[in-house]
Amino acid sequence: MTIPYNTLVVAAGVAAVGFAAGVVGSLGVLRKRALAGDAAAHATLAGVAAAFLVSGRRDLPVLLAGGLVSALLSLGGLVLIRRFTKTRDDAATAIVLGVSFGIGIALLSGITARGIPGGGGLEQFLLGHTAALTAADAALLAGISLAALAAVWLGLKEATLVAFDPAFAAASGWPVPLIDYCLVALVAVMVVVGLPAAGAVLVTALVVIPPVAARLWTDRVGAMLLLSGCIGLIAALAGVAASGLVPRLATGPMIVLAAAAIFLVSLLFAPRRGWLARRLGPRIPLTFE
Amino acid sequence: MAGEAGHGGPHTVEFHDVTVAYGRRPVLWNIDLAIDAPGLFAIIGPNGAGKSTLLKAALGLVPLAGGTVRFFGQPLAEVRGRIGYVPQRETVDWDFPVSVMDVVLMGTYPRLGWFRRPGPGERECARACLGRVGLSDVAERQIGRLSGGQQQRVFLARALAQQADVYFLDEPLAGVDARSQEQIFRVLSELRAEGRLVVVVHHDLRTAAEWFDGVALVDMRLVASGPTASVLTGDNLRRTYAGPLDVLDEIGLAVEQARRTR
Repeated sequence: MTIPYNTLVVAAGVAAVGFAAGVVGSLGVLRKRALAGDAAAHATLAGVAAAFLVSGRRDLPVLLAGGLVSALLSLGGLVLIRRFTKTRDDAATAIVLGVSFGIGIALLSGITARGIPGGGGLEQFLLGHTAALTAADAALLAGISLAALAAVWLGLKEATLVAFDPAFAAASGWPVPLIDYCLVALVAVMVVVGLPAAGAVLVTALVVIPPVAARLWTDRVGAMLLLSGCIGLIAALAGVAASGLVPRLATGPMIVLAAAAIFLVSLLFAPRRGWLARRLGPRIPLTFE
Repeated sequence: MAGEAGHGGPHTVEFHDVTVAYGRRPVLWNIDLAIDAPGLFAIIGPNGAGKSTLLKAALGLVPLAGGTVRFFGQPLAEVRGRIGYVPQRETVDWDFPVSVMDVVLMGTYPRLGWFRRPGPGERECARACLGRVGLSDVAERQIGRLSGGQQQRVFLARALAQQADVYFLDEPLAGVDARSQEQIFRVLSELRAEGRLVVVVHHDLRTAAEWFDGVALVDMRLVASGPTASVLTGDNLRRTYAGPLDVLDEIGLAVEQARRTR
């Protein structure tokens, strides 16, 4: 059996997305912004649907730009709620996630109910459907992913410092809020780029599960980023493969399941931090306290 | 210690009428305090007295509701690079995937500026700082696999790597083993001998009396400040800690005795 050229290009593009999502997601997880990323992911749907309604076409760049705008708006809303109300962080995140996702679903079902031409394929952004991607789409996704990786490489020192000790970073003169905004915006970009592969509901799996699994295997930020990228890549490819083999199968769930399987294996078998190592190995405490 | 600088120049650190509020609740009222290098200076007071807030106000980590803080007569922004900071140990996640060396290198980041990575020079500096706090042999260890005292010394080494002239330490001796305590205090004394100013938020009155040159007693307001012996009196302590506690009298007496025997 030969694999069509288009499928190969799509697979390569989605692999790049999976890798970059794992790398960027690691910084998000280390800065404890996993939930904010999830809110941004759910918010993308409203922007995608709105972009479709405004442009009347299903051009991937346009739809993704719309998704990025609504993701950033939701994160801005989160910042405002935190600053001007006494709402707790988790509650604020849940509110933003629910409201923005509700708007997205309302727009989407409106488009479907009215039978607007071309609107039928939009649910691929809900659960992911890589089989619908063209080679050009995949190239775009890969290009943005590489740019995100370059940004991480550039700002890794600053991001690590702020993630580890924001008070010390601020006291030694670093603009912590600015670095935070850049970091969260980068997560939002990767969430948007991951949409076609994993969908708004499940794309967080690409930016959260691989970092948490990778953390179990290593004690170094650099190694964690690389490993997390590889896990994201494998999960993304598993999704593409399943989607290629079974027509009409949503990719997102397959990606999540693959990532979750790797996470489970890591939980059980990672050296030192894994269940087995802690059960059988010398009882070295993870911390002294 | 506190008071006019000998040569009449600007004070090393000067709080002028500083007021800080969290929301609408003021935590520090009208603090006027001047401290000069060299010296070991303690900020002492009961829980919730605003000791840490005073440090954070100096470092620009909390907004001032009123007043000013100046270093060498200049605003903080002009002299950031000359000021080092040791936050409370509990403020960070010690499970973070970085090594001891990585953390100490963070002290060199302001000199590096945006995007530049630490090079051999910075590593050399970090190694020297680790040596000073006696942690050379755990440089490559993940920071969670250290004792509390060692973690505190990592933070101190990071501050040393800042190569500052003024150091602010927030409870550096809390929950620290005897060996670490001794090592930390030895390094702080060295800093003083090098002509620097070390300002420490401290909780233990007994050690304060024997270790520090100057003290500020804080309980939302400044109760008293100046040379340790003249500030740590039973009277001042009662005013700070509200209530005639025997232990306070005892410490006041001990300080007085120490002063007489000097």
